[in-house]
Amino acid sequence: MELTLNEKRLLVALEPLGPIDAATLADRMGARKEAVVQYALLASDRGLASLEKNIRTVYSLTEEGQKYAGEGLPERQLLESFDEEIPMRDLQQHPLARIGIGWMRKKGWIAIKDGIVSKTGTDAPGADEQAFAELTEGSVDTGLSGIADLQKRGLVEETETVRYTVAITPEGRALVTKGLDLREEVGTLTREQIITGEWQNLNLRRYSVEKLPKRVYPGKNHPYQRLLDEMRRILLDMGFTEIQGGIVQSSFWNFDALFQPQDHPAREMQDTFFLSENQQLPPGYERVRDMHEHGGGTSSTGWGGAWSTAKAEQCVLRTHTTCLSIRHLAENPKPPVKAFGIGRVYRREAIDPTHLPEFEQLEGIVMDEGLNFRHLLGFLREFYAKMGFDKVRFRPGYFPYTEPSVEPEVYVDGLGWVELGGAGIFRQEVTAPCGIEYPVLAWGLGVSRLAMLKLGLRDLRHLYRSDVEWLRQTPVLAGRLEE
Amino acid sequence: MPIITLPYAYLERLTGVDKEIILDRVPMFGADIERIEEDHADVEFFANRPDLFSPEGVARALRGFFGLEEGLRTYDVRPSGITFSIDPGLAAIRPYLGSAVIRNVSFDEESIESLMGLQESLHWAVGRGRGKVAIGVHDLDTVRSPFRYLASPRDRSFVPLDFEREMTLEEMLAEHPKGRDYAHLVEKFLRFPLIVDADDRVLSFPPIINGELTRVTTETRNILLDTTGTDRKAVMTAVNIICTALAETGADVESVTVEGVEMPSLAPVERVVSTAECSGLLGLPLTPESMAALLRRMRYGARPLDADADAVRVQVPCYRADILHDWDLFEDVAIAYGYGEITADLPATFTIGREHPISAISGAARTVMTGLGYLEAMPFTLTNERVLYGRMQREQSAGALRLLHPISEEQTVVRTDILPLLMEALQLNKHRELPQRLFAAGDVVSDLVTYQTAAAVSIHPGADFSEAYAAADVLCRELGLDYSAVESDDPAFIDGRRGDIIVGGKKAGVFGEIHPGVLNAFELEHPVAALELDLRAVPGYPGQPGAPSPGVR
Repeated sequence: MELTLNEKRLLVALEPLGPIDAATLADRMGARKEAVVQYALLASDRGLASLEKNIRTVYSLTEEGQKYAGEGLPERQLLESFDEEIPMRDLQQHPLARIGIGWMRKKGWIAIKDGIVSKTGTDAPGADEQAFAELTEGSVDTGLSGIADLQKRGLVEETETVRYTVAITPEGRALVTKGLDLREEVGTLTREQIITGEWQNLNLRRYSVEKLPKRVYPGKNHPYQRLLDEMRRILLDMGFTEIQGGIVQSSFWNFDALFQPQDHPAREMQDTFFLSENQQLPPGYERVRDMHEHGGGTSSTGWGGAWSTAKAEQCVLRTHTTCLSIRHLAENPKPPVKAFGIGRVYRREAIDPTHLPEFEQLEGIVMDEGLNFRHLLGFLREFYAKMGFDKVRFRPGYFPYTEPSVEPEVYVDGLGWVELGGAGIFRQEVTAPCGIEYPVLAWGLGVSRLAMLKLGLRDLRHLYRSDVEWLRQTPVLAGRLEE
Repeated sequence: MPIITLPYAYLERLTGVDKEIILDRVPMFGADIERIEEDHADVEFFANRPDLFSPEGVARALRGFFGLEEGLRTYDVRPSGITFSIDPGLAAIRPYLGSAVIRNVSFDEESIESLMGLQESLHWAVGRGRGKVAIGVHDLDTVRSPFRYLASPRDRSFVPLDFEREMTLEEMLAEHPKGRDYAHLVEKFLRFPLIVDADDRVLSFPPIINGELTRVTTETRNILLDTTGTDRKAVMTAVNIICTALAETGADVESVTVEGVEMPSLAPVERVVSTAECSGLLGLPLTPESMAALLRRMRYGARPLDADADAVRVQVPCYRADILHDWDLFEDVAIAYGYGEITADLPATFTIGREHPISAISGAARTVMTGLGYLEAMPFTLTNERVLYGRMQREQSAGALRLLHPISEEQTVVRTDILPLLMEALQLNKHRELPQRLFAAGDVVSDLVTYQTAAAVSIHPGADFSEAYAAADVLCRELGLDYSAVESDDPAFIDGRRGDIIVGGKKAGVFGEIHPGVLNAFELEHPVAALELDLRAVPGYPGQPGAPSPGVR
């Protein structure tokens, strides 16, 4: 129990006194009454003082009532202004006639006949007049009969006054007797106090740890970026080189180099963002053309039909990061190659909670002599384990540029087996035109879906919406991959 | 991808295997089960396996996969004596025709439905929306051979399916539902493809609609199949898949003579493949014998080649249109072996990881900005010119990339700057507690070149030029930029409270206090201090990212 300095002062002032009115106490302490009541309230919460609140109703004359004070109510004044009789016309000349005549009739003091007002002789003062007489002397707080009538006439008003009575309890007195430290409290330590040693004499204000502090928020990376960075670190740790590349790609690199037939549905304008710009085909593009038309020098038949240069030149917003992988391989055809890239990809999809026209993809490739399908599964198992998924299974899959292909599934508590990405060995139709002589293991992952799983989101749009509240409230360690 | 309805009773009858086993094993064969219902399952097969788009095709494959019936399924084809001629005038319109006769079919409503389903799936997967191949199925007994495939005048008329009156071909494109859907495939031609019989009665207006005359009903016993298109191989693939699926139900396939060529043969294609190559690719210890056995389970004819201990002679069924390359067979070997049975293994390949310099630079910018108390945002890269330029009071950028077919008015261009998107983020967060400090580092595209910028905004009653300058200054210093600042003329900022960041004599960024007109446009009520920096100015940024694409070696 820690008393504020003001509470201590209150107790010290109360200690020699009996119950006392707060206003009187405030005068003695040289403080405002409201402040003293506040201190007393705190002290009474601790059982050191008592605070009693008395509400008193007081009646007093209104401004109009004051006008008649000493003179009597208007009807009394009017009655006394004439003797037994008076013509009505003359009486009406009196300044109080408008109010007084009605009341005189109502109280039965007068009778009116043929324009003549005559006294009835019944004119004893009523309860209202007696109350009025008392109120003229000063306010009253008792319910005198007759006050209600005066109130209705607007001559008397009712006001409430609140009085506080403060007293010290035995516990409070005991505390004072033990002695209280009445030194001034210090909030902020000054440089002066620290270097002069004055701090040793200070009464430093104590703070309560029960009251929560004001919330502050640090500058933070985006929760999704933190996940992407964690994936990058995992792949760097696994010995992969990071690759990046342009958002704009020719259809050649986005599709043709990956042996996607030119009439493939993904190459239609309802699935892909095409641009009006064209990009020149790279030297050696004929090998890709031959592969499409008849399989080049491999055991492939190719797709058949004629391959169009114009179609290959048209630019698109990349539909996958695989175009970066094949460009990297074309530039680095000698083994070993281990590379990965994370980047935004674009699909012509209408926006809804699980579909967006742009999202991130992660892509990894490994090329070396002697690599095989079992190694692909090995990499996948290792990669997903690092992502926090210990249970992985593999199912046949289909992707136009890999053979064999595999769909990895991970086990998520509460959801069961969840498809998470795709993988395979690049087809020879893809690798041969780039002069690659060894198998290329490749896998891709829709990382935005992984982020939804890890961050517990139901709406993919949340990742890109920049909701400050969500960014502030999401802990830095939220959704960590490796737990 | 097509979703195939597999009725359990029918499938159990065709395979002799319980539905529980089927549902358990089908995913390991290469399919996704979409829905499990009381009497059937809806299963999605991959786009490269149109032979699995019918319950009969699935049963044929599963009988092998379950080891009930292995090896090549052969089909007898007898000549029907029916002939087709092709009008040379079709060469530039729709040159190829495939045909066959299927006798002794027995249809009920369900099996007609199933055949129509197969036809539609093939239109999608092989026919590319009927452009490459369109399929017609006719009641053979309503018409007479010889048939002619001709280029007809557009005002020829007949009664199309589901209509009761004659219409001209042109009317069909305008009025028939199928005509409206597929008009784009033919409307540019002066003449339209048409199939007629010996009595000049119309069977079909490919690729649009068949005639009512040859409608297939539960009474139909014999079928004439036509497939027309622009790709000979695809046209024959469709014939093979439909003929073999109907043959699985007990019907008899007969050939048709098209311009003197007898078709279909339904004969397999031979490939000789290397066991060593297959073992090497899959990492499995295969012998020609074990490999041939696995292939037979996938319904290939396969036996070790006598002369060569390493090779297997494979007969690829005519319906397997997806087998382009030897590795396609090797994948089937792996599927027959069982993906679940293949042990994962890590290779010995040793490499050292290397971060991309752009990631290192972007990461450094993030470190500085978060250190200043800024929260990271990750806005979209697709936006529109109103946000990028209109509300920012800026001139449209000549290098901005416009989408040819945007999906909404909100997303028509790729961002050339990030700052406008952060202003938009502030607008979205205007009811949140101030101060708000946001930054983003990421891709922008100008003149086809992708590069990165970092942008930041700070909104609160005290945000001003000094705050923006201080943030820009520390960001530049921390990124090692040797910069100078000059007064800017960027209309997004207040005159006299804006600066350009100059590096090596070139503008690399801008900072200052956002113009009240811009604040109004984004419905903001407090001052905003802002900056944007082109990260290409940072030492160590890799050379021209827009460099010509690499050659294909």
